[in-house]
This record gives sequence, structure tokens and C-alpha cells, in this order.
Amino acid sequence: MKKILIIEDDESICNELQALLKGAAYDAIILTDFLDPLGFIEKVNPDLILLDINIPYMNGEMVLQKIRSTNDVPIIMVTSCNSETDEVLSYSYGADDYITKPYNPHILLLRIAAIFKRMDHSSEVISYKNIKINIQKGIIYNDQTSIILTKNEMIIFSYLLNNQNRIVEREELMTNLWDNFEYINDNALTVNISRLRSKLKELGLASSIETRKGIGYILS
Amino acid sequence: MKFSSYLKDKAYSFIIFIVVFTLLILLLTSFKTSSQAIIAFSLIFITFYLTLLLIDFFRKRNYYTQLIQNVENLDKSYLVLETLNKPTFYEGLILDRALYQINKSMLEQIRIFENQVHNFKDYIEMWIHEIKIPVTSLTLMSYNHKELSDQKTLEQLKKIESYIEQVLFYVRSENAENDYLIKPVNLDQIIASVALKNKNDFFANKIEFISKKNNVQVYTDAKWLEFILGQIINNSIKYHRKIKNSYIKTTINVEEAKTILTIEDNGIGIAEHDIPRIFLKSFTGENGRASSSSTGMGLYISKSLCDKLGHSIYVESKKGQYTRISIEFSNNKYYEVTK
Repeated sequence: MKKILIIEDDESICNELQALLKGAAYDAIILTDFLDPLGFIEKVNPDLILLDINIPYMNGEMVLQKIRSTNDVPIIMVTSCNSETDEVLSYSYGADDYITKPYNPHILLLRIAAIFKRMDHSSEVISYKNIKINIQKGIIYNDQTSIILTKNEMIIFSYLLNNQNRIVEREELMTNLWDNFEYINDNALTVNISRLRSKLKELGLASSIETRKGIGYILS
Repeated sequence: MKFSSYLKDKAYSFIIFIVVFTLLILLLTSFKTSSQAIIAFSLIFITFYLTLLLIDFFRKRNYYTQLIQNVENLDKSYLVLETLNKPTFYEGLILDRALYQINKSMLEQIRIFENQVHNFKDYIEMWIHEIKIPVTSLTLMSYNHKELSDQKTLEQLKKIESYIEQVLFYVRSENAENDYLIKPVNLDQIIASVALKNKNDFFANKIEFISKKNNVQVYTDAKWLEFILGQIINNSIKYHRKIKNSYIKTTINVEEAKTILTIEDNGIGIAEHDIPRIFLKSFTGENGRASSSSTGMGLYISKSLCDKLGHSIYVESKKGQYTRISIEFSNNKYYEVTK
């Protein structure tokens, strides 16, 4: 389980953020000692840090610089400062992403997932049960057949793959599609999912995407 | 400074001169002075008077003429004192001194107001940061506890968020000294993030959002452009028509000297007589009056942000058919940064 450290001084946001991350199958830890954030980071050794700019004692940008001088753990700045200058500054100090409050929680999760994916230097080909998926080429195949997925189908399938064994809401899939410049509507999503299902069926994986009525889908 | 006006001003001294002169002539005549002596005396006396007048006139003329001219020609006429030589006559020195004092006290007064505006702006910016924390918290809560909140809560939160943004950018547009940063920005990213923010409004109103990936870069401030685009798309959603194929479409045209981003909708459109005024402050027009939630600020702020960034923004529309708003980015980055 990936460990995410939350550096944020508003208690309510911390707790909600922790709940959100836990729901998305991450281990979320909240920084408690603002006097020595670096020591705390060393102790918990997180896989990713969500860092606010307005925090007590030391400004987030300073913390960012200090972390970067010793550690290359991915850092997402999550802040209410939405000026281009702040953003450029954070990137120049070595932040990996910059998200402004108030954010769409699904977008935050997408950004986190994107960073983990980038870090994962595994090959382009992922396997699932008895099939293999080549995301770059947009094909899924087993020993006998190979099937081409459309861009939308691939976005949906790889998102389900990355979030196996938990229920993925339709809203999340939609956000992911729109984030990838595919501005489809609700009906189109349903159509895409049923096409994806029938393509998986051709490879002998019928009913691997289950519908949880009123909530979303789960890839078992 | 005209000699005639000067003379008019000196009329009293001229009258005194005539009276004194006449009295003297009468006196001299009554003492039976010879007529030659009287003529000589008169000439000397008149010359003396005129010389006095002329010297006084020329001493003042240089200073005042320059003062009048410079006040007229300077675009910031309060700086006139800096352009003048010190006067050499007493009255001028009094005036110079007084003007200097007046200027100084006015500048002090302006400084006080400037500070007030500055402090107010700082406070508003700080307040905006503060208010965003509970809004973020509430947003997270509504996602985490779906049983307690529904889509309607999120809609209201989105409204709060968008009003907060409007205040922030209003403050920025009125006092933008160093709040923006121009760099190459990918338009697709901006469009996607605005589209994502409004995604649920598109669905709720059955509006199709059409936009193709273009991979076009323009020189702008990403945050500002995102706000501007957000305002335009908000309007398109607010003023959509309840028809079957209602849509909002973005297109990008790259020309040699400029790149044009157009946002088109097939909404209710804008009445022809309202079009020239839609970028004016607090202007709501026919459409705005029909809906209660129009403040007339969104497009005004967008326009002033565009002006600051050096983009032009314009609108084409036909009532009951379509609205097209275009933003033009110059492709020459140096041109853009000059402002």
C-alpha cells in the first residue's frame, strides 16, 4: 500500500483528505509536528507528500526546498494560492504537481495516480488474469486473439485496472475521461463500458466488470 | 500671458498715473513754466511709467507663459512645478511655494488612499485564501459522505467557489501590478480544466461540450485565462436554450500573427442593441434582467484582464440563435509582454 503524507494545518481538511485517500486504497498519514517536518518525513518515509503552502512555522515552499535538498519523494503542492507565480515557483523548487483549493477530490486522486504511474517504471505491457494490455498501442490480447480498444475504452479499462478490487464510481471514470480531453456524456460512457465488456468477453473474460447499481463498477 | 490683459489688470495704476500726470501738468502750467519744459517733463514722465510697466511685464511674462503652456501640454499637469525655472519676482515665489505645498499635501492624501486600497486588497486576498479552506473541507466532506449530501450540495459549493473566484480576479484586475506571469500555455489544458469544473452543469442541462485537442500554445497567464474562459462558459450554460442539440463548442484557429480561441454556443443569444455594451461594468442587458443571478461583472472583469494581458476579446451573436466569443492571442511573445 502506498503511503501518502498530508502536510496541512486545517484539521478538518486533514481528516477528510485522510478519509478520501483511505477510500482510494492509500495509507494516509497526517503530519503532526510542524516544528520538524523533515524529521517526521524521514521517520515515516512516505511514497508521496501532499504539501500546503500556508502552514505554521515554515512556509510550504521552504519545506519543499528543504525536502528536495535531501529527498526526491514526489510532492504535490495543494494550496489556496492560485497565482501563476506561486505555481511556477513551486515547480522550480521541485514540486511534481500543483493543485489549487478548492479542488475536485477526483482530480486530486487522478493526479496522485498519475504520479505513481510515472514512477512505476514497469513495462508498457500490463497483464490481467489471462490477458495482456498494451496501453500505448491500445490493444488487449491473449495467446490466440488481439483486440483493439478505442481511446475511451482504454482510458476506462486502465483506470479500472489501476483501481482493482474497489468500486469505481461513474463520476470518477467520467472525470478521468474529461481530464484526458474526451468530453463524452453519460450515455456515451454506458455505451463505452458495454463495448468494453463485449470485447473482454471475446477474450474469455465475461463479467469481469461488475455493475454496482447506483454506485459504479468494480473490476474483479 | 498677453500684454493687453496685463494692461487691463494694471488699469488702476494707469488711472492713478493719468490723474497724477494731469495734476502735475496743471501745477506746472499754473507756475507759468515754459511749454518746452512741460513737454520735456511729460516725455520723461511717460517714458518712466512705460518702462516700469514693461520691465514688470517681461519679468512675469516668461514665468507665467511657461506655466500656462506646460499645464496645458502635460498629461499629468500636477507635475508642472518640476518643469519650471524658479521665478525671479516676489509674487511668483509666493505662487511657487504655495503650489509646492499644495502638491505635497495632495500627494500625501493620495498616498493615504493608496495605502488604504492596498491594505484592502491584501485583506481581500487573505480572506479569499481563508474562505477557500472551509470550502475545500466541505467539498471533501460531500464526496466522502455521499449519504449526507447530494449533487445539489456540490452545485451550491461550486457556486460559492465561482463567486469567490470572481472577487479575487476583480481585485486582481483593478490592481494588477505583479499578479500575472506570461508564459507559453497549452490551450487544451485550460479548456480541459474549465470543462471539468463545469462537467456536471453540462450534464444537468443536457448540453454537449465539443472540443478537439489541438496542442496549440499561446502566451498568457494560465490562471487568468482559465478564469476568463470559465466566465464565458458559465454564461453559455446560464443562457442555453432548452433544445435537443444544445451545445458549447471551442475552436482554435492559428493564423500567422495571432491565435484565436472561439467559444460558440447555440443558446439564447444577445439582443443586437446589447452587444456593444456587454463588457461594461454591471451591465446585465435583456438576458441578465430575465435571470436573477446576473451581476454584470463576469464579462467586465474578463475584458479588463484581457486588456492587461494584451489579448483582444469580442463577441458575435444573433438573438435566439448563437453567441460566439473570441479571444485573440498575439503570436509574438515580445508584443504580449510589453504591457
